[in-house]
Amino acid sequence: MRYLFIFGLLLLAACSNESDPAADKASFTRIYDNNKFNATYYPIDIKQTPDGGYLILGGRRLTNSNFSGIYLLKVDELGGFIAETEVADELVAPIGPLLVANDGYYFFCMTNVGLQTQLVKLDADGTIDGQFNVAGNYPAAAAQDGSNFLLLSYDNQDKESVVSVVTPTGSVSSSKSFSIGAGDAVEEPIINHYLRTGRQLPFLVGRMPGGVFYFNGFYNYTLSLAFTNLAADEPQGIVQGQQDDGGLSQVVPLEGGKFALARFNFGDNYFLPTATLNSSGISASTDLGGNSMPELTPNATVKILRTTINARKVVLYASNTRSKQIALVGYDESTGSLIGSKYLGFSNPFEVASLTPTTDGGLAVCGTTYVAGRFARICIFKLSAQELTEAFKGF
Amino acid sequence: MKVILSLTLTFLICSSGYGQFKRKSNNSLPKPRPTQQTKFLEKQWWLGFKAGTNLAQAKPIQSYTVMVPTNYAGELNLKSYDSFLKTGSQAALEATFYYKGLSFSVQPTYRHTRFTYFNQFRWYNAENSAETLELRYDQEQKLDYADFPFFIKYDILRDKLRPYVQVGISYSLLINANKAVSIKGTDYASGGTNQFSNETLIVGAKDLFENYWGLAAGVGLDYNLGNVRIVLEGSYWKGMSNITNTKNRFGNDRLAGIGDAQDDMKLNNIVISAGVLFPMRFLSSNFKTLDR
Repeated sequence: MRYLFIFGLLLLAACSNESDPAADKASFTRIYDNNKFNATYYPIDIKQTPDGGYLILGGRRLTNSNFSGIYLLKVDELGGFIAETEVADELVAPIGPLLVANDGYYFFCMTNVGLQTQLVKLDADGTIDGQFNVAGNYPAAAAQDGSNFLLLSYDNQDKESVVSVVTPTGSVSSSKSFSIGAGDAVEEPIINHYLRTGRQLPFLVGRMPGGVFYFNGFYNYTLSLAFTNLAADEPQGIVQGQQDDGGLSQVVPLEGGKFALARFNFGDNYFLPTATLNSSGISASTDLGGNSMPELTPNATVKILRTTINARKVVLYASNTRSKQIALVGYDESTGSLIGSKYLGFSNPFEVASLTPTTDGGLAVCGTTYVAGRFARICIFKLSAQELTEAFKGF
Repeated sequence: MKVILSLTLTFLICSSGYGQFKRKSNNSLPKPRPTQQTKFLEKQWWLGFKAGTNLAQAKPIQSYTVMVPTNYAGELNLKSYDSFLKTGSQAALEATFYYKGLSFSVQPTYRHTRFTYFNQFRWYNAENSAETLELRYDQEQKLDYADFPFFIKYDILRDKLRPYVQVGISYSLLINANKAVSIKGTDYASGGTNQFSNETLIVGAKDLFENYWGLAAGVGLDYNLGNVRIVLEGSYWKGMSNITNTKNRFGNDRLAGIGDAQDDMKLNNIVISAGVLFPMRFLSSNFKTLDR
């Protein structure tokens, strides 16, 4: 009888490790593979949909256009493949992020012929649900502004950076243009950015909470962060870069007029988790200082997410390392102190595209990997709340 | 349900042993009066060690993958597991209590076991067959366990040569695990048929696995040689629970980076051992057991 009791206890303990769907949803790594030798896919943004799955906006290589085509991918809460759409090549050059309004998802792109900006509406399954003409061309960056959208675009006729407020039906409610400067030299990196034959420039647009708008784009020959009220002809404040060799690579407003920034300067990278910017005068990005990040690729792509980890407000930086991993670096939002880091990916190269918080308190990081070291494919790292807590618990 | 089934099995194992006692005591045939020697030989403690080899079979419960096909069937990339091909080794201590033909034995064991699987990928251009790349990932899994089995043996004969059957239950504690991944490929696109192989990647994989429990059954042969007992036995150990740590299946970046995720699986083993047992109870001070 004693043996029977002991065995029973043993059996009960041992049976606790069966398949665990909750764990499968909380943490996974997926690479979405296509067996076409010449296919290239890269993600732009990821959003979690109400069904727990994920919608990914991506680009793809076209053989009949110099611009990138549009690729949409819908996966379930486990990262399992549900559907993909290779949008017809009449639409090209998609930009993120995926914007949310009217229970739909929106993104900007342009027509392959005419380069007219388009606003495309998707449902949560990634099916195209509408398409709207938007004034202007060469969309460069977008952001959510309440129920409207902000759009930074490039006017290649007048050589201007254009900031617009766009409604979900594609109407431009207000807009302002700023000259990039005369001559072809300043335009060259912009066009190379669109053709993806050159460096991907950190175009950004946004708005201070209830305040002025800002854009990170070309102004007066320099990649600069400019503050504008969309009324005055000149920006109210400018943080100048060094032509396209220096400037800000990511800007996220925090509370109290602070910013979480990342900047680059001739290949070097710096993180500034709580920076103060002069939004009403002229300053230089090189004067901002910051934490040096020599592990990152030169002029690295940087994404910043404000999130909460274990009840602490955190500014999470994601970028690409020289060792071809995705680095996540966390800072306490209130103090700016480093609270941890985590590296994703190994063996094959990985590059970050976007990160989004998930409803279970975790994080989804979407990026590009090069399968077999050569085929660009979309990947997702889903991190659980527990993994985040362990990685960013502070020191 | 599994818990109920397992408890039922355990109860049956124990009750079968109890049944043996009942049959003995209810035997109505006249029996010779037991001598003191006979009574002595009804009980014995044996202590010894044994070692041998084992063959492993990983049985996937549910397959997981990092690589999610979007335009081809997932079956093309499925992992193919070997079955009882790779040899491992084990060493055990044995403590056995013998009573009237039945033995109750605990056998703490160190077991090193191996199994392999592979999967393949192919990228190609339907319009240009030269643009093709084929890759094969061969993965060898090495696991070290401390097993704690409890066996009930029944001696079929009780002569100098004593064949027996045994059933048991075991709990296995994971000690260590590592994985070796070798990648071989053929690249038809680089100007010829370029066959290549990458350096084998060896990673610690203990976080990917868990303890598990299992049932066992087997046959064996005891041979009384002098004052000691030589043992040769073979058993089939059937894993009854998942050996994979479900929370960490994607936890190893090196493996996830090359597209590997740990399947949920059970581990079965064929275990062959030989050893020697020593009696612990003696009739006289010169260590004679009379059991010879």
